[in-house]
Amino acid sequence: MIGSIKGPAAVLLAAAMLYGMQRTTPLYSDITSPVPVTGRQGERVDTSAFAIGVANVHLAREVTASSFGRDRTYTTSGVWVIIEAAAAAKQESLSLTSAKWLGPNGVRHALSQRLSSMPGMPGTERLEPGIPRPMLMAFEVPESQLSGATLLIARSAVTPLAEEAWIKITDVRAQNIRSTVKLGRGNRSQPWTLEAQ
Amino acid sequence: MTATAANAGERRRYWFSIAALAVVLPAAILVHTGDTIREWLRDMRDPIAVESGALQRYAGADWRLTGLARLPGSLPKTAVVLAEFEATVDDPAQLAENRCQVALTDDRGRRWQPAFLPESAVHKAKPAAADKPHCGLFEGTSTGDTIMMAESFVVPEDAKSLALSVSLSGALPAYLLFR
Amino acid sequence: MTIRQRLLAILITGIGGTAAAAASFAMAVYDAANPEGVTVVAASEPVDTGRWIVTVREARAGPIPPTGIEPPEPKTFVMVEFDADNRSAETNNVLTRLLAIDPPVPNLPDPIVYLARDGWVAGGINPGMPERMIAAWEWPPALPPPRTLRLLIGSQIYKRRDNLYGASGWFDLDPVAAVELSVSPAAAEATQ
Repeated sequence: MIGSIKGPAAVLLAAAMLYGMQRTTPLYSDITSPVPVTGRQGERVDTSAFAIGVANVHLAREVTASSFGRDRTYTTSGVWVIIEAAAAAKQESLSLTSAKWLGPNGVRHALSQRLSSMPGMPGTERLEPGIPRPMLMAFEVPESQLSGATLLIARSAVTPLAEEAWIKITDVRAQNIRSTVKLGRGNRSQPWTLEAQ
Repeated sequence: MTATAANAGERRRYWFSIAALAVVLPAAILVHTGDTIREWLRDMRDPIAVESGALQRYAGADWRLTGLARLPGSLPKTAVVLAEFEATVDDPAQLAENRCQVALTDDRGRRWQPAFLPESAVHKAKPAAADKPHCGLFEGTSTGDTIMMAESFVVPEDAKSLALSVSLSGALPAYLLFR
Repeated sequence: MTIRQRLLAILITGIGGTAAAAASFAMAVYDAANPEGVTVVAASEPVDTGRWIVTVREARAGPIPPTGIEPPEPKTFVMVEFDADNRSAETNNVLTRLLAIDPPVPNLPDPIVYLARDGWVAGGINPGMPERMIAAWEWPPALPPPRTLRLLIGSQIYKRRDNLYGASGWFDLDPVAAVELSVSPAAAEATQ
């Protein structure tokens, strides 16, 4: 009697185990995702390859920037988030090219491509070990995704298992949205000027 | 064939298979990671220390560091290091088709890659060096030619015991380390 | 297990497998012989394409591209205005293959997609920030600009684990809808 049940029971058990394993297999994107190194706005965040600190976060409805001697106004259907930070390489010369604004609803907003050629933007300059450099970032984000967001910074968007700085942005309030932020060209040690109106 | 004989044969095959796993598994891992291991071995580099001004034979040429100058940097608390070096070709065929990698290292293990364009300080202090090409143009040379090269680096002022490393892809893992 | 039982098992699985393969093949042949027509939607009707919700608004033709700067040598642009709302969890470009002219026009380059609000080439579109956009095709000079335009709206499907790597991602699928537009002529462009 017991013998006749044993076979089907083993099959059922195996099926249940396989189903459980299939359900709980981590996604490929989880296996190969970068390793987060957490920190907060206003403090230095150290990964093994680079260090970064976020100082100011400006919010604006519009950004004016001079490019090729001409002032251009950049509108957005959300809010402009302009971030001033500083970064340095630690052991080797490197570039930080990936920055994302992770909103409280889990959406990853990429850097706005419309200001990507401004001096100081990620990828415009290589970082040298021991020389901290100012870094500018610009995002266009819906108003609901401003507070409670995290800034993700990495050397590049797809580097499996490399470290990524996760910086909690604490100082953003919707009532601080300015009408215009004006970006200008600066000098060698401070590549841009920023004026909020 | 009796039942016991068949069982014995089956059992022997079973144990043989289990024993074979001990050999086959490591072999499979080795084959699959073969490239990674080779790369890892390549990274275990083997420096050839060269004193400043001395000639050193490497990858079909005689190499010499002709200058390692520290110039003021355009950023505060930085310096520009200008490295000038030359290679006298001995075996053009061996030298050609090499990729060249240059880096500046310090006593804390930091590594700077060369700047693509020389800083303004280089143009001001050593205009001749600013016109010298980067390391890597070894096509169409003949025996006895001297290739003059220069690379500049932006380093923090506090960087000490700087050394220039030059590696050619064909001659790895050996590389030159000029002090 | 006896030889006879073994043979029987092999026979049954063989017949079953063959039957399954034959059924699947027959279904594929049937599908290919009776293609499902795409649904035709009216202009200004939102279409769920999977990754995007697309609302095609209107079409026009004219010499001035959405940048507002007329090229030095005269060209004709066929422009389609549409809204796109990114439904995924990440910023993405509106792919040029989202809208395709049907039937295809030979030698037609891919369109450039601009933001309607400021005439800039559209970069990534964020989720939660729907945008009005203009796709502009540079029309071949040999052809007269069309009076009507039929567009196929492509779709994408999200796979949590794809068949090759088990990675999650968006994959192109067949067009979900077609939209027919009348193209307003160049005169309308002059008032802009």
